Amino acid sequence: MRLELRGITKRFGSLIANDQISLTVEPGQIHSLLGENGAGKSTLMNVLFGLLSPDEGDILINGVATRISDSGDAVRCGIGMVHQHFMLVPVFSVTENVVLGFEPTKSFNRIDYNAATEDIRRLSRQFNLEVDPDAIIENLPVGTQQRVEIIKALSHDAELLILDEPTAVLTPQEIDALMEVMRSLASAGKSILFITHKLKEVKAIADVITVLRHGRIVGTAEPTASESELATLMVGREVKLTVEKSPYKPGDEVLHIRDLVVLDDRGLVAVNGVSLTVRAGEVLALAGVQGNGQTELVEALVGMRPVLSGTITLHGRDVTHLTPRKALDAGIGHIPEDRHRDGLILSMSVADNLVLNTPRRAPFASRGTRNLAAVSENAVRLVKEFDIRTTSIEAPTSSLSGGNQQKVIVARELSRSLEFLVASQPTRGLDVGSIEYVHHQIVEHRNRGNGSLIVSSELDEVLALGDRIAVMFEGKISGIVDPSTSRESIGLLMAGHTMEATSV
Amino acid sequence: MSLLDKPTESIAPPLVNSRRTRVIAVLMALVGLFTLFVFGLGSGAKTHSSLTFDPINVVSAPIKLGSLSMSVRWTDVVLGLIIIALATEVFVRQPRRGVMARFGGVATLFLIALLSWAARSPGPSITSSVNITSILVGSSATVMVLVFGALSGVMCERSGVVNIAIEGQFIGGAFLGSMIASTTNNFFYAAIGGLFVGGLIGLVLAFFSLRYRSDQIIVGVVLVTMLGGLSSYLTLQVLTPFPNFNTGDIAPNLAIPGLSRIPILGPVFFNQSGFFYVMMILVGVVSFALFKTRYGLHVRAVGEHPRAAASVGINVIRVRYINVVLGGAIAGLGGVAFMAAQGQFQVGYTSGYGYIALAALIFGRWRPSGAVVACIIFGLSVYLSYDLQTYQVPVSGYLLAMFPYLITIAVVAGLIGRVRPPAADGQPYQRD
Repeated sequence: MRLELRGITKRFGSLIANDQISLTVEPGQIHSLLGENGAGKSTLMNVLFGLLSPDEGDILINGVATRISDSGDAVRCGIGMVHQHFMLVPVFSVTENVVLGFEPTKSFNRIDYNAATEDIRRLSRQFNLEVDPDAIIENLPVGTQQRVEIIKALSHDAELLILDEPTAVLTPQEIDALMEVMRSLASAGKSILFITHKLKEVKAIADVITVLRHGRIVGTAEPTASESELATLMVGREVKLTVEKSPYKPGDEVLHIRDLVVLDDRGLVAVNGVSLTVRAGEVLALAGVQGNGQTELVEALVGMRPVLSGTITLHGRDVTHLTPRKALDAGIGHIPEDRHRDGLILSMSVADNLVLNTPRRAPFASRGTRNLAAVSENAVRLVKEFDIRTTSIEAPTSSLSGGNQQKVIVARELSRSLEFLVASQPTRGLDVGSIEYVHHQIVEHRNRGNGSLIVSSELDEVLALGDRIAVMFEGKISGIVDPSTSRESIGLLMAGHTMEATSV
Repeated sequence: MSLLDKPTESIAPPLVNSRRTRVIAVLMALVGLFTLFVFGLGSGAKTHSSLTFDPINVVSAPIKLGSLSMSVRWTDVVLGLIIIALATEVFVRQPRRGVMARFGGVATLFLIALLSWAARSPGPSITSSVNITSILVGSSATVMVLVFGALSGVMCERSGVVNIAIEGQFIGGAFLGSMIASTTNNFFYAAIGGLFVGGLIGLVLAFFSLRYRSDQIIVGVVLVTMLGGLSSYLTLQVLTPFPNFNTGDIAPNLAIPGLSRIPILGPVFFNQSGFFYVMMILVGVVSFALFKTRYGLHVRAVGEHPRAAASVGINVIRVRYINVVLGGAIAGLGGVAFMAAQGQFQVGYTSGYGYIALAALIFGRWRPSGAVVACIIFGLSVYLSYDLQTYQVPVSGYLLAMFPYLITIAVVAGLIGRVRPPAADGQPYQRD
């Protein structure tokens, strides 16, 4: 299918999310749409998939101007979308999910599951998308769920596939497998729109690269362009892609976790006997695909989740069963993975959020009364020091951009003297400039001789920050390696292979 | 460095927190010990009671089963031991599935032990025989009403809308049904009226929770309170001054030739009012529609993951409207069925059956078949809470009437097995 967008414009109030976007996807082409969060990629895809209607511009399918007013229209036009957050019903089988909305039926409106299963088998053979039609979605690994999404789109006769940040939740091996599938789809004549902000992947797979910034197309590039050229185009200025660290000089043991067992919300064992040690002046990076127990481990460390068994000691002191407040008092700083849920109170001001971890302490309060002058003074100082872009210290935190919200948290946690820093997905959803900044702050903290545990599902981040790298899989540590280890080896650990010999 | 080893296959760590299962096992064991020592060993060695199975109206029974006399002591000792054995099995093996079924079994055994003990002779009871068939027939009206309510709940909650208003739909159906049946002397018209008024209340619930995304629980509770008040007012203004509108006729039983003469099963299943047969058919129809048809797949998708449903062109709001109105109609029909079994409409006489039906829905894990099983257990215990008075049991019937709620609290608290409602149950849907 040949898809052409002409002058697509979409406004939300005074904000122009898409400004005169024009691009063409040829049949059999893998077209990459590269841009930072907030560049307008998602808006554009929602316009294309009928979830938003454009204010201006045309969509041409095989040369014919077409109106797409809902996702049903999009599917009938041959457009299939693999959403970043899968649109699969977790308790349904693969077959039920694939047929949903397009069910083949027999008498009495019954669904003809045999026909559907046949169809799935045929597609999975044709495009090498191995999947069991009877499996229940929630029991499948994320990579397989994504295959189901692709099969779903193909079963609706999609000729153009939109893949929205498809690699965000995959292991390196799953990413390779996905790229294979993309190539085989393209060679079968399907067009692919591949949305991402990851430069390596774009270079590996794209035929054509279109770069979006602030809602506009700022250029196109060949896959032969260097990563730093692409990054410069995407961000609009030159960026450093590596973090500079002082030499690794580990000191005394700071944090010691032994045989930790923690349950998740469903009462299942999420952390299954984890033992880790972090030294002074060291960043221990915890890698792993999301959902392998990292969240629960961190929550247990900061007192947000009860520990079933095992011990945690900080400078030899037992901190296993602390409440969150006691954990703060013990000097544990925490950058949570979901800043909106656990990091900030969005409706409160920047100034108040900057003292959330020490509201009862001098100088911010005394004898049960807040000292607002000290709170303001603190806010003014930190806003300047950490370069938080806000209209005022009294502005609600919700009015800040994601990057600046994260800076509020980083400022709050790192501006007091810490014994230990726990940071979980510290740069998720941030633009390249903010990532640079947050990384710099974490490394500064380490260079001052402090211990940190950084959890990330981004391999680049893990490799950039970690002095040692622990990999977590299904609640256990599948290996601890040093950062010179190849991406492939770490990828294998992330997929559950174990190390025969631990060399570190 | 060598990293290669066999990758692990499983996805989630299969270790389940065993503490809850143990709590259940201990509870079951306590029930067993109680049965063993109070009902069993607590009864004199010579006490006996008998079970009878023939319907009260003996003329209609072609085959007589006679009665089964038994020693209360040994029967209840055995029942107690069986319960303890089940408890031990749960404690030791910690089965991942079927804990709830075992718990239901324990509840049933306990009720049997309670009955045989209550009727023991020599003892305070007037009669020493327990007529199983008449208990089943007697409780069938309650069970029927609960099933209508639970099916209504299944329809609504599977599509993601909580229908707390079932009690209100019962009231509306019973009130209007009584008026129509009294004036036309025709229960079919009454049923139509019940479907209409229940559907209308459903529509109001749907309108506020879907259009204005109000809290569904609050809208539901408001509706129940409002209908309670309205029915009091109208009873005072209309039914009391004009008794012809509320003559309290009871729907006649329609015996199915042949089948109705089967011992036990016949009187319970095949000599019932038309409403009972409609209820049985409805259970099958709802099950079939939900789990076999395209419509049902859409409903369940909307209740589990509305955005996914919308992404393939399913109109989430429309599916919910349809289901809430249909579910309301079913509950309205249940109200008429209640009236047709109890007679004359009275203020407050649905006495919270709508909430017991919701409890049955949860106990039955949002499945029609499971809900029916729960309705039978709950219906029996509601009926027995009245019936036990005739045995002069020194325990208040009100305490036994608490039984369904106690079980439900245990279920909802996750004590017995893990219940999982439809993921989007009660969540307002907003297109983005």
